[in-house]
Amino acid sequence: MSDQITFPDVVQLAVPFFIAAILAELLWIRVTGKGGRYETRDAVTSLIMGAGNVTAGIALGFIAWGFFMFLWDVTPLDLGTALWVVLLCFVLDDLRYYWVHRFGHRIRWVWASHVNHHSSQHYNLTTALRQTWTYTFTFMMVVRAPLILLGFHPALVLFCGGLNLIYQFWIHTETIGRLPKWVEAVMNTPSHHRVHHGRNPRYLDANYAGVFIIWDRLFGTFVPELDEEKPDYGLVHNLGTFNPIRVAFHEWVGIWQDATQPGLRMRDRLMYCVAPPGWSHDGSRETSDQIKTRHLEAHPKERGTPGF
Amino acid sequence: MPLTVLIALVVVGIAGVALLIHTTGLSQPRRFTTEAEARAAWTREFPLTDITGVTLCRSGRAALISTPTGPGVVWPMGADSTARWVADGRVTRRDGGLTLHLSDYAAPTVRLHLDPDEIALWAERIGTT
Repeated sequence: MSDQITFPDVVQLAVPFFIAAILAELLWIRVTGKGGRYETRDAVTSLIMGAGNVTAGIALGFIAWGFFMFLWDVTPLDLGTALWVVLLCFVLDDLRYYWVHRFGHRIRWVWASHVNHHSSQHYNLTTALRQTWTYTFTFMMVVRAPLILLGFHPALVLFCGGLNLIYQFWIHTETIGRLPKWVEAVMNTPSHHRVHHGRNPRYLDANYAGVFIIWDRLFGTFVPELDEEKPDYGLVHNLGTFNPIRVAFHEWVGIWQDATQPGLRMRDRLMYCVAPPGWSHDGSRETSDQIKTRHLEAHPKERGTPGF
Repeated sequence: MPLTVLIALVVVGIAGVALLIHTTGLSQPRRFTTEAEARAAWTREFPLTDITGVTLCRSGRAALISTPTGPGVVWPMGADSTARWVADGRVTRRDGGLTLHLSDYAAPTVRLHLDPDEIALWAERIGTT
């Protein structure tokens, strides 16, 4: 077993590129007057969330790493680090990302971590850096277990995950409209990902892809960006704070408050943790499915159109 | 990358981006200029609401929404907006208006910028509307 394989921490190495690209996007918007919006407190919150994400990775990364190395000790398989192995790992890790991301929108426990990425009402390159501090507590590292058991070294898997995150940085922009058809057909693009950040009923729970949009096409979650319906960015109920601590933990607090309220059955307490966001024991809130249903009742002609 | 270099890069990067955005005039909070604008901002958050009245404060930095099920407040969040029901809120007076305290971890307080003659009206309506 090759335990000593190392790969560079590409996300840390990309930090100067992130900063330069943000400055370039901001300059472009200010010079041309189009291509998106910036606001100081929103951007600063996003950047602090990004710094916190890196910090959390340094502080808590040993938990996932220990789990992965345990699996690596268990598996008899070792695919090595040939180029084809790296490429295959990248593609399979992107499939892994698709499902983790989908779980992140459909299971409240995972949404509690991911929600902060959607908490900005802006969509620019700083939004890409508005990342979770609490991913470790979702236990979604288990979704990477099959890759390691198949013989992909943990360092290679994390390297591919880092490349995946870097790819997703540049698609958080309104400065790029649509790319050539073949690119839009295969790759996740700014257009596809704008849909993912939309709070419009049509765009809820769509386009979970990291790098390859083919996963959404394959699993039935793809929705194209419509020229006649611009994405409205943010959460169904937007935050009333820019405090990064509250941004990072608000949904966890919400789960605690909901699951510990008096008079509930044990099943309801569990559902507040794992049911889709918006589920409630008394029907007083709406899940994304219910929002879409209500929208279609008000706009029946939209039935059968993308997203419905 | 050494940790010290990473930390310096992040700190300088965040400060530099913040300074640039601020100096290019992008720190001005949104103002509601009409009741219709405030109504639309509320409806964006709570589309099923039957709105019976909108009280826009003179500063344009908040609006009180009246409904058959109780009052709500809509206010700017940077260049955008958000809204909350205020049934379980309480207000305290401060210079320049009221502070609305909500039992909502994601929206704990709202600073309402009100003229002196608006303060009593808003305090009364949040309590009784």
